[in-house]
Amino acid sequence: MPLTLPDAGPRVTALVRHNTALMLREPGPVISRLVQPLVLITLMHPLYAAALAGQGAQAGTIQVVTGMLVMFSLLALSVVGGGIMSERSWRTWDRLRATQARAAELLVAKAAPALALLIALQAELIAFGVVAFGLRVSDPGLVAAAMVSWAIALLGLGMMLGAILRSQSELSVSYDIGGLLFSALGGALIPPGELPGWAAAIAPASPGYWAMGALRAALRGQAAATFRDAAVLAAIAVVACALAAWRMSRTSPRSRLL
Amino acid sequence: MGVLEASGLVKTYGRQRALDGLTLGVAAGEIVGLVGRNGAGKTTFVEVVAGLIRPEAGRVLVCGVDALARPRAARALAGIAPQETALYPAATVAEHLRLFGALAGLRGTALRRAVDDIAERMDLGGCAGQPTGLLSGGQRKRTQAATALIAERPLLLLDEPTVGADPATRARLLAVVADRAAAGAAIVYTTHYLPELAELAATVAVAQAGRIVARGALGDLSLDKVNALIAGPGPDGTAQDRGAEDGNAADAA
Repeated sequence: MPLTLPDAGPRVTALVRHNTALMLREPGPVISRLVQPLVLITLMHPLYAAALAGQGAQAGTIQVVTGMLVMFSLLALSVVGGGIMSERSWRTWDRLRATQARAAELLVAKAAPALALLIALQAELIAFGVVAFGLRVSDPGLVAAAMVSWAIALLGLGMMLGAILRSQSELSVSYDIGGLLFSALGGALIPPGELPGWAAAIAPASPGYWAMGALRAALRGQAAATFRDAAVLAAIAVVACALAAWRMSRTSPRSRLL
Repeated sequence: MGVLEASGLVKTYGRQRALDGLTLGVAAGEIVGLVGRNGAGKTTFVEVVAGLIRPEAGRVLVCGVDALARPRAARALAGIAPQETALYPAATVAEHLRLFGALAGLRGTALRRAVDDIAERMDLGGCAGQPTGLLSGGQRKRTQAATALIAERPLLLLDEPTVGADPATRARLLAVVADRAAAGAAIVYTTHYLPELAELAATVAVAQAGRIVARGALGDLSLDKVNALIAGPGPDGTAQDRGAEDGNAADAA
């Protein structure tokens, strides 16, 4: 019998359509992540504007918009990792692995709707900052580069956690604590210059630190700083995605979630 | 040459040897009922052939394709229904069938026709638009089997497809399996229910502690002997009857 393997494109398309439908059928977490930061930005803008007035008219607006963007996109990791964890708990991941699709195809198709969500969340908050608080975007291309690099890093981190952790509760703890910790250390809540000395020293260990740096620099039109921090985010994404792919391609059907 | 030729498969989990040199071949149009007590190696064998786990030793050929060296190519030749029901609770029956049909390489009209056909054969037409999380156990079983049967493949691996199924579901599934075999598919059918194998006129292969200890037509093997072999030693070696532990050489046919 001649062996003909269908090409990857239609498979990935079918999987992306399927994963998008799954995500939209449980819209609660998505809506929550899209709406909550708008409320917080609105309420906290006056506070940040007053606190950072000495650093220029835009400083407070940039801080509150980028800070909430980083914090809520970190919390949106629950959507990414939750998707992987659900596949494992439903045992559908092994079912998909038993098809002709490569592990990379499965991961790409799982990632695509989540990547769209993460970019949409960031675009929404930047647009809200522009419309509601006069946020200036010096170079939209730079901002797009920063947003995409942060979205890819988040995607890798979310998939890595979804692949490695053993239960939904472990996942929730990781996102809740990790999201807040990385946000705070990254300077999302308090500007990096105002962090305690010990926190400032370990801040670069947080992906949020590099995301804040890339986004702030992009909004100010500082290309070199934007690309430097975006490169760090891309490196984080590569390592995390590689770990996730390695783990998911070796998931044993006998490995049980808690 | 058989559609499936597996030989000398060895797989261990920790100190437990799940497959201990298991050898099994299935010819086109043949249904092999793989029976054995829990832990005898039935599901591990299916998972190895499906490429979900790698054995430490042995060889698997599917239509001449080395399934260990080229697992994706081998999977393109097989329809696989795992033992545990694996469905998306929020996705409908029709969405499952379309997804797995597309992953099997079906497109356009061929995909639509295959979805309609298997839904009708498995009596899923009435619930095609319902999320599987809302289905009865029998409907879920039929949906799971339908995802494996939607594309016609030279090899079918059905791992305890009727566990927990109602008589109607069982009858539907057995009819489709018999039809596929009649059309030339080689079928590995693991089960604990010998009457199903009799109904399918299947060859019986008895797995015991990771090996095939007897193989033959159900009519040639006495039911008592099959039952005694099934009740043989488990994976921990707790022997109840090791009368046929010469393994694959003990072909009762």
